[in-house]
Amino acid sequence: MSSLTYRLLGVLLLGAVLALSTDAFLTVGNLLNVLRQASLIFLLASGLTLVILSAGLDLSIGANLGLSACMAAAAIKSTGSISIGIAAGLACGMTIGIANGLLITTLRLPPFIATYGMLWMVYGINYWAMAGNTIYGFPESFREIGSGYLLGIPIPVLLMAACLIVGSVFTRYTTWGHEIYAIGANPEVARLSGIPVRSRLIMVYTLSGVMSGLAGIVYLARLNSAEAGIGEPLLLPAIAAVLIGGTSLFGGVGSLSGALVGAVILTLVLNGMNLLTISGNWQPLITGVILLLAAGIDTAARNWNESRA
Amino acid sequence: MARSLRRIPGIAWLLASLVIFFSVFGTRFASAPNLINIGNQSSILLLLALPMTLIVMTEGLDLSMGAVLGLSGVVLAMLLVNGNALPVAFAAALGVGTLFGIANGVLVVALGMPPFVATLGMLGVAQGIALVLTDGQSVAGIGSALPGIYASRWLGIPFAILIAAAAYAAFHFLLYHTRIGTYVFAIGGNREALILAGVPADRYHVLIYAIGGLMAGAGAFLLTGRMSVGHPTAAIGMEFDAMVAVIVGGTKLARGDGWLPGSVLGVMTVGVLKNGLNVMAVPSSLQIASIGLLVIVALLIDSFRGKS
Amino acid sequence: MNIFIQNVRSTTAVVLMIFTASCAKPVDEGAGQTGGESIAVFTKNQTNPFFETVRLGAKNAAKQMNATVIQYIPTVQDSITEQLSEIEDAIIKRPGAVVFIPVNSRAMIPGIEKLNAANIPVVNITDRVLGGSVISFMGCDETNMALNTGRFLLQRLNGRGNVIILEGVGGSENSSNRVTGYRKALAEFPNVKLLASQPANFQRVQALQVTENLLQSYPQIDGILAANDSMALGAIEALDAARRNAFVVGLNGTKEAIDAIKAGKLLASGDCDGFRHGCLGTMAAVRHLRNLPVPKEFIFSVMVIDNTNYAGLDVPYEERMCPSWESVVKDK
Repeated sequence: MSSLTYRLLGVLLLGAVLALSTDAFLTVGNLLNVLRQASLIFLLASGLTLVILSAGLDLSIGANLGLSACMAAAAIKSTGSISIGIAAGLACGMTIGIANGLLITTLRLPPFIATYGMLWMVYGINYWAMAGNTIYGFPESFREIGSGYLLGIPIPVLLMAACLIVGSVFTRYTTWGHEIYAIGANPEVARLSGIPVRSRLIMVYTLSGVMSGLAGIVYLARLNSAEAGIGEPLLLPAIAAVLIGGTSLFGGVGSLSGALVGAVILTLVLNGMNLLTISGNWQPLITGVILLLAAGIDTAARNWNESRA
Repeated sequence: MARSLRRIPGIAWLLASLVIFFSVFGTRFASAPNLINIGNQSSILLLLALPMTLIVMTEGLDLSMGAVLGLSGVVLAMLLVNGNALPVAFAAALGVGTLFGIANGVLVVALGMPPFVATLGMLGVAQGIALVLTDGQSVAGIGSALPGIYASRWLGIPFAILIAAAAYAAFHFLLYHTRIGTYVFAIGGNREALILAGVPADRYHVLIYAIGGLMAGAGAFLLTGRMSVGHPTAAIGMEFDAMVAVIVGGTKLARGDGWLPGSVLGVMTVGVLKNGLNVMAVPSSLQIASIGLLVIVALLIDSFRGKS
Repeated sequence: MNIFIQNVRSTTAVVLMIFTASCAKPVDEGAGQTGGESIAVFTKNQTNPFFETVRLGAKNAAKQMNATVIQYIPTVQDSITEQLSEIEDAIIKRPGAVVFIPVNSRAMIPGIEKLNAANIPVVNITDRVLGGSVISFMGCDETNMALNTGRFLLQRLNGRGNVIILEGVGGSENSSNRVTGYRKALAEFPNVKLLASQPANFQRVQALQVTENLLQSYPQIDGILAANDSMALGAIEALDAARRNAFVVGLNGTKEAIDAIKAGKLLASGDCDGFRHGCLGTMAAVRHLRNLPVPKEFIFSVMVIDNTNYAGLDVPYEERMCPSWESVVKDK
């Protein structure tokens, strides 16, 4: 069985447990909620997946989300135009991504350090720029991006689906995608076989930055407000989603669908804990245990597959 | 002269520049009390950075250290409140830490889980247990013995700095003068060779994580003494600081390439920066940005000198 | 050519260093007179707008009294270790006095004791430190604030209905104090049912997701007691999106909350007025240094801001002036 199948089984198992424990789980409303909540993490995780596939890491995605959301917010407020706001947010995300890419390729910094340094610098800029304030109150039409529906499906979920489809096509069927896998598997060999490693890496980090910017815009639309530091709690879940999904930190192995499954698993855990009103003190423990279970099953499956291969 | 100057690693230059900069522009930065403060403030981080160096050398990382430190501190405090003697409570703290370290090691080595996920999961478990045990509250009433020990000075040197120095000496000896140390290098660099030589590499690999947990327990001793209470979430995030100190100090995230003195320099650099920024009363958002800048500059220096 | 480049490089370096140094001078707030007292103000984090208002109040008061203020904020929010380090670093600078909000009421006791040993007077504001010696505590009782705010909502429900509580961060005293206050209020209204008390880490997005989830479980939720305004506003977004109605209250009295009250979305927000804390705490510190009387304890009255009484507070903080000492601290 492919590892993706194992993971999907994991999701179904978790879902089944929740469905049996509470009536509220298996309703259309709740499931749509779960998907919509997962979409924020997935948008972050999708760009991150590409980066990790290339054997890199992007720790700045949370800070990026925050600054991009604030930029978009400030732009909408000062120009009154939603499109300028969206453009500003995406541009901010992209700029941070390009900066990461340059630090890593041209200045040859290890991705962990480059993006960790970027994380702090972006937060510093964000806190300084916002000066403790919140920007809030946006037009209905903009907020539709976060809370609206199209054909009964929440728009963030549609964005997630679009991102998944485009991203999967990109990674599996385009040369660029193959090159990213190759770079992750063995950068030297990739370089020697003529792949322009440097520009592909810049591309990957730029994409991660753009996705963080997009996530920031969706956040802004959903929460109707932006302040410094909003992305902070999203970093570890995003990384966890990518890794639970089967993407290896060593590069060359993984998929966007895996990241989606990872995001869903994490969201299901939180959803379940709320529905079952599990006391706050117990929540980190349960989250940790389920994380270990998910990773454990995944690892066991991989070992099983390898031993039979 | 030029040749030996070249040998001095980038981080040392950076540390020196920061010290000079803050001494010139910060009032009383270079005073004895302040320098002692920096040492004190950095000791707990060093206790974590030392085992983290070993872990990073084996291409791993341990995200659970901060949470485990918190849990060990909580256990330590609760035992003290219950009237147990300090050595007993201390042993328990070390035990709890080591247990989690072994758990990490088993997950990573025996099961083959990616260290990021394994230790992230254990972070949740340790944090969760600490929160459940304390109901999210501080554990107060540990008496004055532990805080007294923490505040004590020996020949003018604060207790924490002595412990950190002793820990460094122990790790240095372990890494560079014992067989286990060579194994650590090998596990990161050339594991197969080790196994072919008949060494149970897995066991030593788990040991590395166990040592990490042990040191988290030791750190809990210092932190609880510093705060005079046990607190479940007091050390959250410290493991990231430790990792950064290690990497900034020159240990690469790959291939058994580690430099222990570098981790000390890395810890000191972070300590000097944070202290210096406070002494110069730099606004908080600029402080946050500076930390990021430091991290990048530290590696840029090495990168430009052709070391990467 | 090489020497030229070298010279440019070293000149640039020196210029940069000087530039940085001059940018990094002590944050001189309340500048004007030389010889002004230097007050070190410790707040918990950069993220909570409440503390921003405290800092603004401190800045304002210092300016009025010709003193200067240095702000100490941990770079990692609510970090106990960092605040302890900041105290040590501050002592080196020998401020005249300290205005202090503890990250943790017990773990900071050693820090206060260090300040005591250094003979630096401490005015403790907002959250009480449970040890060490301070010249004054000026704050409000957080539990009381939550109690009053909770009571307000439950009275609006006429004592019947279903409510949920949104908690803050596990391990945070602010969170446990506020939740305790809410629970005390609930104890006074036996016909109100507490459906769930779930953590949302003081974060807006988490509060939205938690509320969303709870709305699924419970077809009837009449009231939401949120331990801070950010979470209250997140909950309101969730209610709006689900087209459900409930009374929501928050705590902190932020500008955004007041706007939401004006718009009829938020029922009320409990407020201890951080701005006043900053003002009066700093004034107390300066007064003490000038040998003027300062009360040993001063409890600010809690205000439950609702749509009847927000007027005076609906002013941008930059434009607010500190109240005069005499008008607030009446002789007891």
